[in-house]
Amino acid sequence: MSKVIENSSADVAVQGFDPATMAIGTEQEGRSNHWEVRTQERSYAILPVTEIQKENRYGQLIDLVELTDLPAERSMFINENPEVGSNPNRNKQHGFFFTADNCIGCHACEAACAEKNDTPAHLAFRSVGYVEGGSFPDYKRMNISMACNHCDDPVCLKGCPTKAYTKHAEYGAVLQDPETCFGCGYCTWVCPYNAPQLDPVKGQVSKCNMCVDRLEVGLKPACVSACVGNALDFGVIENTPENREQCKTQIPGFPDPEITHPNIRFQQTKDLPIEMTRTDSMPVKYHRDSDGNYKPVVDQKQGKAKHWNFSRLNSRENPLVLFTLFAQAAFGVFFITFLGAMLGIEALVSFVASDMFLPLTVTSLLMTTFALIMSVTHLGKPMRFYRGFNNLRYSPMAREGLGLAIFSAGCGLTALFALPTNQWVVAFTSANLGVDLVSLTQGLPLTSLVKSAGILALLGGFGGLFYMNKCYQIKARPFWHHLQTATSFVGNSLSLGAFFGGVIVVSSLLISQAPAALVNQASLVFASAFILGMVIEALGLIKHNSDLNRSENEGGAAHYIQCTTFGKTYLFRNWLLAVNIIAAITLLAINLAGYNEPLLLLAWIALALINCFTAAIGRALFYILVIPTTMPGAFFWKNKAFEQHARDIGLADNPATGVAPLAH
Amino acid sequence: MLFGRKNRKPITIPKKEVKEWKYTTCNYCSTGCAIEIGLNEDKRIVTTRGHAGADVNRGKLCIKGILEHELFESPGRGTEPLIRDKHFEKFEKTTWDNALDTTAKKIKEIQDKYGKDAFAVVSSGQLLTEEFYTLGKLTRGCIGTNNYDGNTTLCMASAVSGYKRSFGSDGPPGCYDDFEHTYCFMAFGSNLPEQHPIIYWRLKEALEKRKFPLIVVDPRVTMLAQFADIHLPITPGTDCVLINSMMYVIINEGLQDQAYIDAHTEGFEAVKALVQDYDPKSAQHICGIDEDRIRSVARLYAKAPSAMSIWTMGINQSTHGSDGVANINNLNLITGNIGKPGGTSLSITGQCNAMGTREWSSCSGLPGYRLLENPDHRQEIADFWGIDPEFFPKKRGLAQTDIFPAIETGDVKGMWIVATNPMTSMANTPRIRKMLESLDFLVVQDVYADVETNQYSHVYFPASVWAEKEGCHTNTERRVSLISNVLPPYANSKPDFWIFNQMAKRFENGQKIKFPETPEGAFEEMKQLSKGANPYGNERTLDISGMSYEKIVKARGIQWPYSEEQDKASGSLKGSPRLYTDGKFQTPTGKANLICVDFYDNNEKPCKDYPFWLNSGRVVEHFHTRTRTGKIGNCNKFSPTPYMEMNPDAARELGIEHQTYVRLTSRRGDAVVLVQLTQRVARDMVFIPFHFHDCVNRLTLGLLDPYSRQPAFKQCSTRIEKVDQAEAARLNAERRNY
Repeated sequence: MSKVIENSSADVAVQGFDPATMAIGTEQEGRSNHWEVRTQERSYAILPVTEIQKENRYGQLIDLVELTDLPAERSMFINENPEVGSNPNRNKQHGFFFTADNCIGCHACEAACAEKNDTPAHLAFRSVGYVEGGSFPDYKRMNISMACNHCDDPVCLKGCPTKAYTKHAEYGAVLQDPETCFGCGYCTWVCPYNAPQLDPVKGQVSKCNMCVDRLEVGLKPACVSACVGNALDFGVIENTPENREQCKTQIPGFPDPEITHPNIRFQQTKDLPIEMTRTDSMPVKYHRDSDGNYKPVVDQKQGKAKHWNFSRLNSRENPLVLFTLFAQAAFGVFFITFLGAMLGIEALVSFVASDMFLPLTVTSLLMTTFALIMSVTHLGKPMRFYRGFNNLRYSPMAREGLGLAIFSAGCGLTALFALPTNQWVVAFTSANLGVDLVSLTQGLPLTSLVKSAGILALLGGFGGLFYMNKCYQIKARPFWHHLQTATSFVGNSLSLGAFFGGVIVVSSLLISQAPAALVNQASLVFASAFILGMVIEALGLIKHNSDLNRSENEGGAAHYIQCTTFGKTYLFRNWLLAVNIIAAITLLAINLAGYNEPLLLLAWIALALINCFTAAIGRALFYILVIPTTMPGAFFWKNKAFEQHARDIGLADNPATGVAPLAH
Repeated sequence: MLFGRKNRKPITIPKKEVKEWKYTTCNYCSTGCAIEIGLNEDKRIVTTRGHAGADVNRGKLCIKGILEHELFESPGRGTEPLIRDKHFEKFEKTTWDNALDTTAKKIKEIQDKYGKDAFAVVSSGQLLTEEFYTLGKLTRGCIGTNNYDGNTTLCMASAVSGYKRSFGSDGPPGCYDDFEHTYCFMAFGSNLPEQHPIIYWRLKEALEKRKFPLIVVDPRVTMLAQFADIHLPITPGTDCVLINSMMYVIINEGLQDQAYIDAHTEGFEAVKALVQDYDPKSAQHICGIDEDRIRSVARLYAKAPSAMSIWTMGINQSTHGSDGVANINNLNLITGNIGKPGGTSLSITGQCNAMGTREWSSCSGLPGYRLLENPDHRQEIADFWGIDPEFFPKKRGLAQTDIFPAIETGDVKGMWIVATNPMTSMANTPRIRKMLESLDFLVVQDVYADVETNQYSHVYFPASVWAEKEGCHTNTERRVSLISNVLPPYANSKPDFWIFNQMAKRFENGQKIKFPETPEGAFEEMKQLSKGANPYGNERTLDISGMSYEKIVKARGIQWPYSEEQDKASGSLKGSPRLYTDGKFQTPTGKANLICVDFYDNNEKPCKDYPFWLNSGRVVEHFHTRTRTGKIGNCNKFSPTPYMEMNPDAARELGIEHQTYVRLTSRRGDAVVLVQLTQRVARDMVFIPFHFHDCVNRLTLGLLDPYSRQPAFKQCSTRIEKVDQAEAARLNAERRNY
C-alpha cells in the first residue's frame, strides 16, 4: 500500500538525520526494490489511493489483467529484475492528467525525463510546446507538455513491422524495445502525438516508458514529480486528481482523441481567445467551434505567393521515393504483360512464349530488388531488415514487405522455370557449361510451373501494392489519408509499368519481325495502360485537390504548402500530366488511324519519359509535404524550420544546439 | 501483455546505481534549493535529485538544477593556469606558483606606480560565502585597494540600497512561507515562473490551498502576468509613479495603518505631502495604468489583512532602482506590512550567493554589514584580523559600474575579475570591450577558459566549480545552506578559496592575518564577527553564531538571525523566518524611514530614430551569460541562439517576418537576432534575453541609479533594420561558440 505522506508546510519539524549518510530512509518500507524512494518523499510524488472506475469513457476495461490470462502478480522484469512491483493498482490502465491552465512552460518535466532516461539533447520523450492568441495585453499563451499517451488503441504497436512495441497489462504502458526496432520510423508516422522518437544518430526509435520502475513502487513518473506549475499529474485513468474539476479529452492543439483513444485527460477552464496560433513553422492554427473545442485550420504563414523550391524535392525521403516508384513500376511491367497473356491477348501470349519473356521477368525482379534495397537503406539499422515481417498480424508495412517479397519470389520462380525453354539460355549453358537444361528438366510441367509462379507473383505484387497503400492511410497524416494515395500508386504502376513493359515487348516483337498486327496490338495494350495509369493518377489528384482545398486540418495545411512553397512545381507537374494525357490520347488516335511510323514510337518514349519525371516530382511532393497531427512546438525546440536552419548554417554541429545533423 | 503479445520484450530503463547521496545546494539562482548528488561505486556522478526534506524546494528542482550535475565536465573548462604578456598573444600554460607570483608582482607594480586604488578587484555573486569573506580579507586587508566590488551591482545593488535607506540595514525581511499567510500578493517586475521557478511553485502551492489576489506589474505579458488576477502593463521606468499614486489613494482615503506608522516609522508627513502630486488622474498618463485600476489596486492592497510585495530586476535595474525599492518599502510600511506573516517587502534575489557577498565580502564596506565610514567598525575588523586600522580606506570606493569607467579615465590600470563575465553582462559592451583592452594587467579567475572576458586577460586562473568546493550560500530568505564537496577539482583547477589563500601569502599583510586552511575555519571567523550589537545598540540582524556546518546540513539550511542564544534556547535549528517582527529597525531611532521618492524621467525613450523600447530579461533554461547552461544541451536547446520578442502588428508595418533575422541598432551599437512575433509584448517594445554574448548588451545604455549605481538595463530605445538573411545567419553562427 502506498503510504500517504503529509504535504508538509514550512512548519514541519526538522527531523534529526544526516542526509549525506542516510541513503535509504524508511520511505522504502513496504515497497518493492525497483526504485529508491527519496528520504522524506512528498505527497506530490506519490500515487494516491483512490476509488477506481470499472471502464473508461470508451468502454474499455480499466483493469487490464482481466483482458489477459495472466496472473495478477507477475514481474515486469524491468532491467531483468524478477521482483513483483508493490503498487496495488499495477494492473490498471494509468494515464497523465494535464492541467493546461497551470503549465508555465518551465521545462522541468522535460529535464527530469532527460535526466532519468539519459536522452541526448536532440531527443526527448516529453516535449513542451505552446499555442498563443489574443492581442497585447489581452494575450494568452497555453503551454502543452506532452509525452506518450499509452493509448487504448496503440497505432504505433499496430504499425510497427518489427513487433518492437508491447502494451503491457501493467499500467497499460505501451513500451518499445529499441533493440528490436530497425529504425524504419513508421511508428513516428502513425502516432498523432509525436511520442516515438527516431534518433537519427543511433538509427532507432525510443520513447516514454511511463517510468514503470517508479510506478512499481507507487511513485508518479519523474516528469510529474518534477512539475513546478502543478500542471502535470498521473494516475489511474478517468480519475480526476484532488483539487481538479474537469476531466476532458481535448485542449487546443491536441489531436482528435478518436484516432487512438489516448490515456490522457485535461483540465482547461480558463477562457482562451477564439483563435490560437503556433509559433513553430507548421502552417496550422486552431479555431474554437460552437462546442468550445478547438479544431485545426490552415495558417497561411507562407503568404500566398507560389514558388518552385525545386531543389527541396531532393530530400532524405529519396530512398522511399525510389522504393515506391520502382516497386510499382516492377509490378506494372509484370502485371500488364502476364495478365494480358493470361487474358489471351495474342501479342502478349506470343511474347510470354518467346525468349524475351525471361529478360522481362528478370527486369521486374531487378527493379523490385532495387526498390527493396532502397527501402532497406532508409532503415536506421539496415542489417535488421529481416525483422520487417515480425508483425504480420497488425502492421500494413510488414504485409507490404511480405507482398513484395512474394512478388520477387514469384518473378524469380517464373524466371527459373522459364530457363529450360529459353533457347538462348539452353544454347549458352550447353556451350559454356556443358549442361543440357532441356534433358535435365524433361518431365517437369514447365509451362504450368511458369504460369503458377507468375500467378504467385501477381498475387504477391497485388498484395504488396494494396498494403503499400494501406501504409499511408494514416489518420494522423490526413494529407496521405486519401484516395489519392491509392490512385497515385495504381496509376504509376500502370503508366510506368507500361513504359518499361512496352519498350521490352514492342521492341522484341519488332526485332523478331513479328507480324505488324501483333506489334500494333501490343502497342495498343501498353499505350492504353499508359493512358489509363495517367488518367487514374490525374483523377486522384483532382479529387485530392478538391477535398483538401475544403479541408481545414493538417491535410489542408499540407496542401496549402503544396500550393505556395511548391506552388509552381505543383502546377508544373499537373500541367505536364494533363498535357501528357492529351498528347498520349492523340498519339493513340493516330496509331488507331493506321499510322505506325517509327517516329511515333519515339514520341511515345518521349511521353513516357516525361511521365517518369512527373511521377518522380509527384512522389517527392507526397513525402515532403505531409504534415502530421503533431503537438505544437516551441520557437526553437520542435520547430522544423529552425531545425532545418540550424543544419543549414552549422549551428547543428554543436550537439548542445539539440538538433541532430542528419545521418542520411 | 495485450494485443496478442506473448513473448516478453526486455524492459530496459537506465539504471543509475547510486551508492551514495551527497547533500548540496544549487549554485545557480538565489532560491537556495537543496540537491542530492548521487555517486556510484567509482565515486562518479550518475544522477541528482531535489532533497524532499529541504524546506525551500521540498524535493523540486527547476530545469537548471535537474541538469546541473552535467556541468562538471562540460567543454571549455579551465584545466591549467594560463599566462601571456599581451592580450593579443597566445596563452601559454604555466604553474600555479608562476601565475600567482606574476599576478602578485603585477598588482604591486601597478599599485606602486599609480596608487593603491589603481588595481581593482571585481567579483561576483556566484562564489561561496567563505570565499567572499576570504576575498574581502585579501582585498581590504592585504591588497588594500578601495576599488573592490562585485557584479551584484548589476542585480541586487538597488535592493540593498533601498533596504538600507528604509530599514537601516540590508536583508530581505520576509520569506517564502509568507505566501501561505498573505491576503494580497503584488509582484513588481518579477517573473517567477521564468526566473525563480521553485519560488513560483511555493506561491502556486499556497494559491492552491487558499486563493488570494495576485497583482503583477510588468510591461510584458509574462506567464505570471497572464496568471495574475490583475495585470498592470506599466510604462517602463514609472513604477515610482504607480506606487506614489497608490499611496495617494491609500492615505487620502485613510486606509493606512496609522498606528504602525506612528509607532515604527519616521517621515510620514513628508511622504503624505509628496504623494499629493500623484493623483491617479494625472499619474495614469505617466505610468500607463488607468486611474480606476490604480485606485482598486491601492484599496485591495491596503485593505488586505496582510499584503506582500516581491520584486526583481524590473525594479532594481532602472534609474529609479533604489527609489523603487524604498517606495515599495514605503507602501508596506504605511500599510503595516513589514515583519508579519504574509506582510513583507521581499526582494527576490538573482544569484545563488548575492546575499553572501552582500553580507561577508566587504565589497561595500567591511564584513557583516559593517561600514568603512564607521571608525569603530574599522577598528573592530582590524583588531580581529590583526592589522592596522589605518590600512582601511575611510569610505567606500567605487562600485563595479564606476570601476570600469575609471579605466577610461586612467584611474584603474589593472584588474582581477572573479567569476563574472562583464564582456557579456554589462551594459554597452562595446565600451566595456574597449576598457578591458586598454588594461595594463588583467587576471581572470573563472571556471571556464572560454569565458568571453578571458579574451583580454594576461593571466587566467582556472577555478573549481560548485560541489568541487565546500562552503555556504545565503538565499533570498536569508537561509544559509551548505555546498558539500562531492568531487575533486577538475584537472588542475583550484577552489577559489585556495586561490585567495595562496594569493594572500604573497602580500605583506597576508603574513600577519590568519587565513584558515578550510572553509569551515573561515565560517567560524564569520560566526565570531556576526555576534553582538549593531552601531545603534540593537541586536545585529546578521547573526549566524548559532550555526555550524553540521547544523546547517541537519536542518537543510538555517535562516539568520540564528544566534548562539537562539540555538541554546530552542535547538530547533529553525532560525528566523522574518526580520523586524518587533517593529525595531537598524536605524539610530529604531524606526523605519519613510522616504520621499519624487519621479523624474531621465530614460532614453523611444523616438523617431529609435522607435522601440528595448527590454531585456531572463529565460528559464539559461543562467546569466550562458557559460554553464550554454554547454548543457538539454538546457541550451530551448534557446540555442538569441531571439527577440516583437509585436506582430509592429512587424507588419516594417515588413518583418516571424523567424527571420533582423539587426537592431541603438546609440551604442548593434545586434543580430531572430524575430519571434508574439502579442506578449507591446507594439512599441521588444524583448531580448540577456544571456547571449555580443547581443542585447551591445545596445543597452545602462544609465546608473544615483544611489545604488545599478544600471538601467531595461530602459533604452532601439531601431529595427532588415538584414540580408544569409549574412545574418553566418554572423549569428560565428558568434555562438557555445
